[in-house]
Amino acid sequence: MSRPFPYTYISCPCADTPVPDPSRKQRPRESPQKTSSEQPAPPPEEEEEEEKTFDPRSPRSNFSLYPIEQLLYCEDCHQIKCPRCITEEIVSWYCPNCLFETPSSMVRSEGNRCSRNCFNCPVCTAPLAVTALENGTEQAPLVLACAYCMWTTLDIGITFDKPTNIRAQLSKMTESSSRQRKASRTLGDLKSPLSTYSSIDEHIPTSEGNKDGSSRAEEQALDPKARFAALKSFYRNQIAETSSSPADPLGTEFGFSSPGALNRIMSLYTSSSRLAGLYGGNKKPKSKPPVMREALTTKEGLKIPSANADDSVIERMASDDCGWDGHASIEQRAFQSPDARFVEDLLPLPVLLRTKRSKRCKSCKHILVKPEFKPQSTRFRIRLIALSYIPLMTLRPLTQAPQPGLPSPSSNLDALPPLRPIQLLLTLKNHMFDPVRVSLATPSTTPSRVASKVTILCPEFDIGANSDAWEEALQNASATDPRSSRSGMLGPAEKVAEAGKVWDKGRNWTTVVLEVVPGTFPSAKDEPPLQADEDVLEIPVFVRMEWDSENQMDSSTPVGKGQGSDLVKRELAYWIVLGVGRIVDDFRM
Amino acid sequence: MASTPSGHENKRSFTSSSNLQSSLRYGQSARPSSPHTPQQHIRSTCSSFATSSPPGASYRSEEDAIIFELGTRWIRAGFEGNNTPICVTGFGPEESRRVGDYRGWISGSSYAETSPVKLSRVADWASAYELWRMDLRDVDLGLIEDKIERVFRDIYNKYLLADAGTSRLVLVVPSVIPHPLLSSVLSTLFSRWRFPSITLLPTATMSAAAAGVRSALVVDLGWAETTATGIYEYREVATRRSTRAMKTLLQEMGKFLTKLASEESQSTTSANHEDEISVNFEYCEEVVSRLAWCRHRQSTTESNEPTDQYSSLLQKNVSIPSPSKLNSTYIDVHFSNFAEPVEKVLFGEGIREHDLDDEEKPIPLLIYNTLLSLPPDARGVCMSRIIFIGGGSKIPGVRRRILQEVDSMIKEHGWSPVRGKVIERQRQRLENLTLSKQRNLSGEDPANPLASQASQPTDQAEQKQEEEEQEQEAIDFVEQKLRRANKDKSHPPQIRGIVREVESLGAWAGASLVTSLKVRGMVEIDREKFLQHGLAGASRDLESHGHIPDRRSGLRSGGDRSSWTLGGWG
Repeated sequence: MSRPFPYTYISCPCADTPVPDPSRKQRPRESPQKTSSEQPAPPPEEEEEEEKTFDPRSPRSNFSLYPIEQLLYCEDCHQIKCPRCITEEIVSWYCPNCLFETPSSMVRSEGNRCSRNCFNCPVCTAPLAVTALENGTEQAPLVLACAYCMWTTLDIGITFDKPTNIRAQLSKMTESSSRQRKASRTLGDLKSPLSTYSSIDEHIPTSEGNKDGSSRAEEQALDPKARFAALKSFYRNQIAETSSSPADPLGTEFGFSSPGALNRIMSLYTSSSRLAGLYGGNKKPKSKPPVMREALTTKEGLKIPSANADDSVIERMASDDCGWDGHASIEQRAFQSPDARFVEDLLPLPVLLRTKRSKRCKSCKHILVKPEFKPQSTRFRIRLIALSYIPLMTLRPLTQAPQPGLPSPSSNLDALPPLRPIQLLLTLKNHMFDPVRVSLATPSTTPSRVASKVTILCPEFDIGANSDAWEEALQNASATDPRSSRSGMLGPAEKVAEAGKVWDKGRNWTTVVLEVVPGTFPSAKDEPPLQADEDVLEIPVFVRMEWDSENQMDSSTPVGKGQGSDLVKRELAYWIVLGVGRIVDDFRM
Repeated sequence: MASTPSGHENKRSFTSSSNLQSSLRYGQSARPSSPHTPQQHIRSTCSSFATSSPPGASYRSEEDAIIFELGTRWIRAGFEGNNTPICVTGFGPEESRRVGDYRGWISGSSYAETSPVKLSRVADWASAYELWRMDLRDVDLGLIEDKIERVFRDIYNKYLLADAGTSRLVLVVPSVIPHPLLSSVLSTLFSRWRFPSITLLPTATMSAAAAGVRSALVVDLGWAETTATGIYEYREVATRRSTRAMKTLLQEMGKFLTKLASEESQSTTSANHEDEISVNFEYCEEVVSRLAWCRHRQSTTESNEPTDQYSSLLQKNVSIPSPSKLNSTYIDVHFSNFAEPVEKVLFGEGIREHDLDDEEKPIPLLIYNTLLSLPPDARGVCMSRIIFIGGGSKIPGVRRRILQEVDSMIKEHGWSPVRGKVIERQRQRLENLTLSKQRNLSGEDPANPLASQASQPTDQAEQKQEEEEQEQEAIDFVEQKLRRANKDKSHPPQIRGIVREVESLGAWAGASLVTSLKVRGMVEIDREKFLQHGLAGASRDLESHGHIPDRRSGLRSGGDRSSWTLGGWG
């Protein structure tokens, strides 16, 4: 569905262990209520089955299926580890654009973004480059320009003096000029007669509004950042004020400055007198402790929106020079100030930092991945990827030479005709240095409404051990080139897939044949139409592998014993999903 | 506040110099008191106990708490003390794809032109984009757990860039959230990462805190429903909800765009299904977020100049990408068309009041009813502190329109819940009666004593109410006394009794503010406690737990840390 057909996904076994909910001791993996209209209710006996068939169609399977490259393997638990069953620790922070490392103490204060000159375009997210306005020179004024969508900071009226430390310059500019810019824009916007309304922003229809009108006028339109700071200092002051009285037993040790007190302050005056009576009247303060009040002025962070503030916005929305593209999209607004509505309000975004993380197994805490510290290095100190432990599965259609008289079977996996059998080659390549016995199991029909029949012609087979690459090369020199069969294109069509027989076998790989009969679409009229991707032919296959490995873990075993006891039988079982192709509906065609 | 870090430093250097001794002493001093105050030192960084805790533990807890605001559609995350969240992420189908499924990135596929026009029922149309529904009957909780786990992991790795589980977690959740859902969210977070504790904060109260007020009426124009919550002194006192919210608005807009699309391509599929939507959800949301707006209240009597302003706007055409061929052509649509769904959905235009169900009251009526259910004192305070939050409050003009409607409703009916023709008639009769009463001073109407008795109290109350606002200031001696008492502190009197809007920075900012002030929430769920018993371990006994005796100690519920409560969520 996502990747080009055919593909394989591996389901991490951790999906079978549900999140332990302490209040409900056990919950089935799929809640029994989940019988939506698209899926007929499974018969009850199937529910009781211990080993339930993995259903790639279930919405939950999207969260447990991974391509094999994404999986790790814990050598201590002998289990596949997906991103859900590992814990991560950050090793270093760096900017993906300039590859400079940011020290951990600086990360938070920079807002997790690059503090240098790396910016992304607010319109199209491409990286911005510092460019001089005049060609050829590298002198001020400089702008940030997007090479993809040609957006520049000139569009929002920002130029820079120096080519370095753009972030500091920008933040200085936006902090000081945000009000001016807003004001100038509304004043300059002479077309809309309503624009002046927005400047009488803080008109409060009350009697005390005129008291500090002058300070209000200069302080109007605090941007969210300033408002937040104002509110914070206001609350601080209030907490300090209300807990200042020394006679108050609440004030001293566990006073209001201590955590957890605000909600108690809030309810203080309702019950304090009663309480004081309860707890010995001698300590009762003379007067009621002062009660926290609410913010009353703009300076304290209060904001009364004016009744007509929205008019100018509506004006602008409808105006011709704004249009659809003048509005910022939801995606563009995601990281901007909450007030940003139009493309002109967007500011260039400093590049988000990235991290290098080491990964540990969640259950045994062993390190699975440990990257090199430096951002420039792509190497790893430890990396236990699943690919080197579990066999790599590749699926290929078996295209037979066209036989005379018959139309050649279509090999287009994006359009599989229903009810026409196809044969597929499943190759398992072993990367371990031990031979592996594999058994495959699959439900005879795929769990979908477009039920296809699946047969694995040889469900149990061995794969040879991996060895050095040179060995293979030397062997291949004498033997016939196995690639001829691996390509699936046999010259003359003498080779026929047989039940119980391996199709082909190499040093560390084995190929078996899968026979699939794509199902038909439900034709009943009353059935709901197919959901997205329901026509994709996906086969769940249960893979169980066994091998004898040398007992590396148990160092305490006496050396004197025979070789046989050093070998430990290992077993690994998991579900995989083979994406074969998309079935076409011939009734619809 | 400032002294704490330095004191901490001292302590740390001290412990490092004489490590053994201090640890011994700590062990001695802590043991006897532990039955009473176990673990109290864990996060109270300001109290004197905090410094005596092992340096490692307290050092950890000093890290900024991480605040998540969990909504039906969006999740906001960031650090305490910041004014805006670091990221806002949704729960769309793109987010629930398989790993390695990059279809969303293939250009143009989000506005897929190639995919066949698919009709989907209105009810199902948006369901892929929401995390949960209040109706949990057909919600797969396991799926929600999966989504939550992935979203949290992604947010930590991509945006927060912090190790998950080391610092305290604060969840801002609506005050009404289904218990199974809360339980599965908490158990996912606790079992996946090692969060020491999770604090729950209610959305509405945090919005009030972010507006700088202590009492407010918080109107959350959210996704699935609109809630109007009366907050009095930081406590929720009344909540009413209505299903008229952004989901219905999007569905309405989707229907409108579907109609446009089918008009455009008249020849093909003349699907005249009223309850089906063919347009893309993202496209529709984009249209709503860009162009939805709302007119002034259509006042029948006075036609002031803003309406004249709009009359020119209404004639305007706006070009939007054509709903049937998204990437190629634009079509012109009347600007007024983008106001109609908003008015239809949020204000219930064209529907008479008595046709409405209880759960689908228009927003102004919802606010009015909520205010009505408040006691008069709280009502007066709350009505002049109306806070709008949620996605719908971003639509230009909506807030003003709602306030105008509420205002007119108050003017029309006062604060009386009684409506209807009969009442009007009775009122008329009573007016006559009082007129006649004035004429013959003590004459009760003998013909209809019952009716007069029945309606007199309400009538009187109403009159009183109307008079109150003028008279209260002058007559009420308690008020005067209070004002005199307040004079020395130069507190201006509280604004009350008028409809007024106060802007809030949002629930997330409120939580960030409150957390950065080292205020601890009522509901703080300890990891160990939760893992033992789950939500069932929460003590139901709110009375003995929260407020009364333990409040004095300043520590959260004093000695009794062994039990915890769900507070308002219980």
